[in-house]
Amino acid sequence: MSWQGELNKYLASAYKNWIISKRNVFTLFELFFWPMISLLSIGLLTRFLNVGPGMVSFLLVGAIALTILQVAQIDVAYVLLFDMWSKSIKNTFIAPIKSYHLVFGALLFGIVRGSVVFAILVIVSHYLFGFDFLRGGPLPVLIFLAGVFSVAAVIGITVCISILTFGQKADVAAWSLSGLILLVSGIYYPAEVLPPALQMLARAIPLTYFLEYYRSVFIPGPHNLALGAVLAALYLSVGLILFDRSIERARRTGILLRLSE
Amino acid sequence: MAPGKARALASEEVDKVIMADKSVECKGICKSYQRLFGSGTMVLKDISLDIDAAEIFGLLGPNGSGKTTLISIFSTLIYPEQGHLRIMGLDAKRDKDVIRKLINISSAKPNFPWSLTVKENLRHYGMLYGLHGSTLAKTVEDQIDAFELGEYRDMKFEDLSTGLKQRLSLAKAMLNRPRLLFLDEPTTGLDPDMSMKTRLLIQRIHHEQGVSVVLSTHYMPEAEMLCDRIAFLRKGEIVALDTPQNLKNHLGLGERVVVRYVGPMDIAKLEEVPGVLSVTAVSGRAEIVIDRSTENLDRIIKLFSRANILDISIKEPDLEDVFLELAR
Repeated sequence: MSWQGELNKYLASAYKNWIISKRNVFTLFELFFWPMISLLSIGLLTRFLNVGPGMVSFLLVGAIALTILQVAQIDVAYVLLFDMWSKSIKNTFIAPIKSYHLVFGALLFGIVRGSVVFAILVIVSHYLFGFDFLRGGPLPVLIFLAGVFSVAAVIGITVCISILTFGQKADVAAWSLSGLILLVSGIYYPAEVLPPALQMLARAIPLTYFLEYYRSVFIPGPHNLALGAVLAALYLSVGLILFDRSIERARRTGILLRLSE
Repeated sequence: MAPGKARALASEEVDKVIMADKSVECKGICKSYQRLFGSGTMVLKDISLDIDAAEIFGLLGPNGSGKTTLISIFSTLIYPEQGHLRIMGLDAKRDKDVIRKLINISSAKPNFPWSLTVKENLRHYGMLYGLHGSTLAKTVEDQIDAFELGEYRDMKFEDLSTGLKQRLSLAKAMLNRPRLLFLDEPTTGLDPDMSMKTRLLIQRIHHEQGVSVVLSTHYMPEAEMLCDRIAFLRKGEIVALDTPQNLKNHLGLGERVVVRYVGPMDIAKLEEVPGVLSVTAVSGRAEIVIDRSTENLDRIIKLFSRANILDISIKEPDLEDVFLELAR
């Protein structure tokens, strides 16, 4: 198959997600409403608590990271959720495609949507709260975004695996997993304040390292970006392998057919 | 593997497909739907059959007999627990990636992403099959034309009638120019005109493009018109496998003589006539099933001598009778 044909296998998922999103009024909520609610509530909290610029940057970096993570991860999860809700999953898996076609195609669209949300939040946080997110220059921003998007891909893959393993009821995972990330990966507080067991969990989540890295732009402090990058690459690779295995398992158990009926 | 070797392997596989005289070879296929915890329900039991590439093969059976499951296994959507399966000469387990490029399926209850239009759905699935550029655009337009979807091209899937959804499903099944086409109840929901057009199209695809077809159907005239051979499934097992004509002949279903009459008639005497298999009489209408009408018709008509015969008709058994007999 030509490279254009192979490329289109990836773009198919981005194309589907784009069409569905542009026809869904709730996309506006995902792109504007909830991100703004998140940013404004945290920004106003910093005013109420009358915290210094360092703490403002700490909290707003967390709020922006969580928001773009949620937008991008749901786009990856949508690659199966839309098929499951419309009971068309068999048409996808009868085609000669692999898990990585689905994941990276959907992630591409997630990166576009996440980047739009990111741009909006950076502008709004600058004008309303005087926070200059881009102070560190383009490279740290790109590294930070790459980290957030890779974690989003891992969460999205986990949702897809849950659907293929547990069936339709597992779609709740699409909105629950980012809640777990919020709790343990140092979004609004440093991982050090967590109980020891949860600190170990936090150290196993790459987002913790990417947050520490980007916050060091505003509040100089230690970080281990390399470990975060290695963990993200490892989880993404393992996630794709497990996604492939869960597809094979769903073919063996027949769940792929049941999800289409 | 070096790129050159990969191309050579793909070429060998394609040759194998071209040379294959069987579209499906399966032996001892068993399938149950497993649950995450606990045991599953057995839906296919020891299915063995060979389907020639040159034939249109039909799967018949009542609801829940396992037709959709068997087609899903043949199309590699799901895997059997036991048994061996070869599709177009390729091992269904080892060569599944190659097989998926060469087959397609149209489902009985077609579902596609709701908010995508007809054209967008075809485009999306065309992309999944690796079509691109002008080939993708032309293939989509060709299928829209072939299945008369032109005026609905910009209509969302959720707004389509059942018949239009079925046509879209058939159009999607032809996107990758499959060598083997699985059609699960392809005319369900279509009006008589579109059903006939679809059947003619299936015949044309088979005869002109050399596409092997395996279909399941509830419509006996459809099976009789299209299928060279039929497997009849009941409770996950093949209970009959033959040509439509042989199925009718071998089951000894008899011919159906229907007599409408006015006046006295002793129904009990009809049942005593040699060769009469059954008699059903209700308000001036007697339906008599006999095994050889030419030999026994005269005796039957003589029994109606005291009555006034209004009408008499003889009907050979059709697949509907086969279905009813086998589904018992």
